[in-house]
Amino acid sequence: MTSFELVEPRSLEETFALLDRDDPAVRPIAGGTALMLMMKSGLFSPLRLISLRRVEPRLAGIAFADGSVRIGAMTTFAALEHSPEIRRHLPVVTRTMRTLANPRVRNVATVGGNLAHADTHLDLPLVWIALGAQAVVVSPRGERIVAVEDLYRGYYETVLHHDELIAALHVPLRPTWRSVYVKVTTRTAHDWPALGIAVSLARDGSIIRDARIAVGAATKKATRLIQAETVLRGAAIDAAAVDDALLARAGDAAIGEISIEADSRGSASYKQHLLRVYLGRAVRAAAAAEPGA
Amino acid sequence: MSNTRTIRFTLNGAPVKTDVEPHETLVDVLRQRFNIGGVRESCGQGLCGCCTAIVDGIAVSSCLFLAMFADGTAVDTIEHLGSSHRLDPIQEAFIEAGALQCGFCTPGFILMTKQLLDIHPVPSDDDIRHYLAGNLCRCSAYPEILAAVKLAARRRNSAAEPA
Ligand SMILES: Cc1cc2nc3c(=O)[nH]c(=O)nc-3n(C[C@H](O)[C@H](O)[C@H](O)COP(=O)(O)OP(=O)(O)OC[C@H]3O[C@@H](n4cnc5c(N)ncnc54)[C@H](O)[C@@H]3O)c2cc1C
Ligand code: FES
Ligand code: FES
Repeated sequence: MTSFELVEPRSLEETFALLDRDDPAVRPIAGGTALMLMMKSGLFSPLRLISLRRVEPRLAGIAFADGSVRIGAMTTFAALEHSPEIRRHLPVVTRTMRTLANPRVRNVATVGGNLAHADTHLDLPLVWIALGAQAVVVSPRGERIVAVEDLYRGYYETVLHHDELIAALHVPLRPTWRSVYVKVTTRTAHDWPALGIAVSLARDGSIIRDARIAVGAATKKATRLIQAETVLRGAAIDAAAVDDALLARAGDAAIGEISIEADSRGSASYKQHLLRVYLGRAVRAAAAAEPGA
Repeated sequence: MSNTRTIRFTLNGAPVKTDVEPHETLVDVLRQRFNIGGVRESCGQGLCGCCTAIVDGIAVSSCLFLAMFADGTAVDTIEHLGSSHRLDPIQEAFIEAGALQCGFCTPGFILMTKQLLDIHPVPSDDDIRHYLAGNLCRCSAYPEILAAVKLAARRRNSAAEPA
């Protein structure tokens, strides 16, 4: 790694003074797990890193209020994984944690760093999109709210300016919805996924009242599947077996609305096949899950 | 302009200080400045656990941890666990179960086992496999490691029972 300047401001105001709207070599650092890999491999050579570790307390903590939970950007994966309230209200997040990295990385990696990294292979952004979460973005110009599905512009690219920070995530609590995340790995269980898919469904008896679906790893960026959701919305299902024809139509819609990218974990046509198969499995699993799952 | 800064932390129970550059990792500083041989950089990517260090009670991959972030913390390594006169029960269990060949990965496995047993005093096979998924053993002593963790758990639990 090349040398750089590392600063540890104590307040957001100080942090903003150190960030630079025009210089991508000046970056915030949270847990550093993603940045360290990029710096070690020479993909990124910073001039200045601004550590968010001492910028308390606006970036920290998990707080429940008025039907939603606010998760501070500096919350570690381990803190989410071990939170009894997260387990009770957002069990899909607790379950997904077990598939991410390993305990040492989870002790350090943060929710904000994970969102801002914008690698399409990351799992958690897909879950946040399916849950309808929004990022609270702060800058010297004030605060704005960006739905997680609108956060990404492309491969490793967000809509954030270089002087903007993610302060927190707001996740609505929807006790009647059921959510599932499926990480499809083709080599070892701990490899990066060839496809990630998150599905969240609201059911009225045997009708799918609403659906939110997000895919990643097979696309340039985490992407919501609006057309596939439309196919599912209003469809009648039998809880025991969601109709094959319905799932085939949802799969066609999904393939039609996104551009699937090949990578070292699979060709585009293979990933298309994976998407059809796992969209169906994820919808079936979500439909069969208990409300609140 | 030099970006060097003095950091102070507690290393294996003793206060220490040293000058570091921002880009130095904790594993390099522990090995090069303090002669700590129990942290080793192998993958350098957070995957293998050979560089495991405990920072303020939390296990981290010191290959991905900037040394400056250790300022003001307490850092513990395998050197702090037992002594050559009296090994920790987990160390004894690894020896008895034959859970190592070359021993390169062993400090990381033992430190992670300690963290695991602090959370799950009676871990299932699944708990053990899951918790140690970020530790790799090139000698592939995995069956013996699983047995060692279970042996260590039994030892710790029987030692914890009132006589
Ligand atoms: C071995 C290994 C395996 C992993 N496996 C997985 C996995 O399976 N699934 C998964 O989802 N993740 C996985 N990760 C974690 C993931 O890759 C990221 O490393 C992590 O989530 C990033 O969090 P961080 O706090 O370390 O971010 P950092 O590395 O500190 O930062 C990442 C990026 O976000 C920016 N940033 C950080 N915080 C903010 C903020 N508040 N506002 C704006 N920008 C910010 C930084 O400038 C940087 O560009 C793995 C990591 C490792 C090392
Ligand atoms: S060397 Fe740090 S985890 Fe492998
Ligand atoms: S004992 Fe040799 S690497 Fe594990």
